[in-house]
Amino acid sequence: MITRLRETCRRLLDQNKVQVVIGYGQRRPGAAAHPVFITRPEDVGQLTWGGNCFANLTVYLKRKEVKALGKAALVVKGCDERALVVLEKEAQVERGDLYVIGMACDGVHAPKCSACVVRTPRFADELIGEAGSAPGAASPAAPDLLDVLMAKPAAERWAFWKSEFSRCVKCYACRQVCPLCYCERCIVDKNRPVTIDTSASLKGNFAWHITRAFHLAARCVGCGECTRACPAGIPVGLLNRSLADTAKGNFGYAAGMDPAAEPVFGAWSSSDKEDFIR
Amino acid sequence: MSPIISAAALRELIDVWIKSGKQVAAPVSIAGRLLYQRIDSSGQAVLDSALRPANSIKDFVFPRHERLFGYRIEGRQISLTDPKPEERDQIVIGAKPCDAHALPILDHVFAWGSNDEPYERGRRRTAIVALACTAHDDACFCTSVGSSPADETGADAMLFDLGNGSFELKAITAKGRTLFTQHAQPPATEPRPSGSAPAPRFDPAKIRAFLATQFESPFWAEGTLACLGCGACAYTCPTCHCFDIVDEGSAAEGARVRNWDSCQFPLFTAHASGHNPRSNQAQRQRQRMYHKFAIYPEKFGAILCTGCGNCARNCPAGLGVLGVLEAIDRQTIKTDERQPVQT
Repeated sequence: MITRLRETCRRLLDQNKVQVVIGYGQRRPGAAAHPVFITRPEDVGQLTWGGNCFANLTVYLKRKEVKALGKAALVVKGCDERALVVLEKEAQVERGDLYVIGMACDGVHAPKCSACVVRTPRFADELIGEAGSAPGAASPAAPDLLDVLMAKPAAERWAFWKSEFSRCVKCYACRQVCPLCYCERCIVDKNRPVTIDTSASLKGNFAWHITRAFHLAARCVGCGECTRACPAGIPVGLLNRSLADTAKGNFGYAAGMDPAAEPVFGAWSSSDKEDFIR
Repeated sequence: MSPIISAAALRELIDVWIKSGKQVAAPVSIAGRLLYQRIDSSGQAVLDSALRPANSIKDFVFPRHERLFGYRIEGRQISLTDPKPEERDQIVIGAKPCDAHALPILDHVFAWGSNDEPYERGRRRTAIVALACTAHDDACFCTSVGSSPADETGADAMLFDLGNGSFELKAITAKGRTLFTQHAQPPATEPRPSGSAPAPRFDPAKIRAFLATQFESPFWAEGTLACLGCGACAYTCPTCHCFDIVDEGSAAEGARVRNWDSCQFPLFTAHASGHNPRSNQAQRQRQRMYHKFAIYPEKFGAILCTGCGNCARNCPAGLGVLGVLEAIDRQTIKTDERQPVQT
C-alpha cells in the first residue's frame, strides 16, 4: 500500500494536479506517524501508512498556512473521511479543490477505533488497499467505556466527569485537533466580555467541555482525536459520542455517513414533534 | 555514601507526612497514564516507574488557576479580600530531575524586577524529593540541554533506586535533611546503578548559531506547518510559565485570578485594536524557540528547557519543541543566507 500511495502522490505532484500532499510520515521505528506536507515529487518517500497513522488530517484543510500551499491531496481513513463529508456539507471545503486519497484501514488504536463504523473510505478520488475486517474488530476485547458509563446512575456519571475534568488544564488540544472545531474565534476566546470562564477550575472546565460537546452535537464523527490529544488522559470524546447517539436515536442522523442527509441543525421539518418549530 | 531507605520505610514516611497535615504530591497512575497528583496515601504514589509523568510539577508552585484577590463593589465602596494563603508544608516525592531542575529556572522569572508573592509562598512551603531516572523514552533529551538523569539541581533531596527494593537517599538542602532526620538508615555499601542517559538529539551550538542568524528563515513556516496551535506542550512543560490575569464574576462581585496562558494561542498577543503582531503559527513557534534558547539564556544565563520531552510526548501533531530542534539541527545554513537578528 505504501508503494502505491507514494506512486500516486508522485504522479499527482509531477503532473501538478496538486501542489501539496497532506499525509503521514514517520521519524523513527516505533514512533507514531506525524503529519507531513509534501510539495516536491522527490520527497514522496517520506510518506508512510500503517496502524500508527492516528491523526485525522482533515483538520489541516482549514489552516491558512496549509491552504496557502495550493491545491491539496489529502490522505484519509474511513473515520477521517466522515469529517470531510461534514465539512463539505457545512460549506467549509470545496470537494473539487481537493484530491482525496482513501486508505483502507485495519484500525489504528483501540480507543480511537471504538466508535468505528467505516473502515474503508467511500468517496475518495482514489482508494488504496482492500477493504479489511469489519469495523470495530480491531478492539473487541475491552468493553466500550461509553457503554460502561451509561449503565451507571446519573450521580455516578457526574462523579466520573468531576474527577476527569479536575485534571483539565485547558490547553485546548481537544479543540485544535478537531476538524469540526473550525470557528475563527472560539467562544472561550471571546474576552470582551468573557463569556466562558477562562479558568481551569472545576466550574470553568465544566463550562468548556459542555459547551464544546454541545457545539459538536450531531456534527462529531467520532474520529476520537480529542481523546487521543488530551495530555491529561480525559476521554472527552465520550461526551460527543453520547450526543451522537442522541442524534441517531431522535433524528436517525449520523454525521458524515450520508452526504445526501440534511444535517440536524441545518434542516427543519413541519412534521417535527416539537411545537416551537412550526 | 549516603544512607539507604527501604521502599517500605519510604512509604511509611510518606503516610506520616500526610497524617501530620502536609500536602504530598507524587506520580500517580491514572487510566494507564502517569501524572503528578496530590495523594491521600502512599499507596497511590508510583515510585518505581522508569518513565516520567505526562504533566509537570509546576502546578504545585504555580497553579494553573489561582485566585489573587476577591472584590466587591457596593455603591461607591470597593472592598478587596485577600485569599487565605495555603500555609501547609508541601512535599513533591518522586519528582523527575527534569522537573526539579525547572524550579530554579522559574525562580529567576518570578523574582525578576519584583518578587511574585504567590509563587514565592508556593516555593517556600514546598520541598522536592527527586528520583533519579533509570530509563528514558524516545522523547527524553535532558543530555542535549546540559542536564542528566541524576541531575540534582532544584532537588532538596535525591533518591536513587538501587533496584533491590531500597533507595539511596541523599539530602541536598536543609529542607531535605529535615524531612528524613528520623529515618536515616545505615549508609549504602553498593554503588548506585548508573542511569540510562538519552543519546544527544541535537547540537546546542548549532541551535544557537541558527537562532542568531535565521530569524527570517523560511524554515519557520515550513518546519512548523504541523503545529495546530494548542497548549499541550506549554501546559505540560516544566519551564513554560506564561500567565494571564482576568477578572471573573460580575461587575459587583468577583475575583481577580491568574491562569496559565501560552504563546501558541493567537489570543496571547491579540491587541485590543484587533491587530495581532504574531498573526500566524510559524511566528508563534519561532517566538517559543527564541524565548527558550535565546532570550531567556541571554537574560538569565540558562536554557529555558530541561529536556523532559513532554512537548514531544504530548504533541498531537508529533512535533513539540524537540521536533523543531531536531529539524533545526538538520538545516544547513549557507553563509549568504545569514541575516542579522531583527528585534
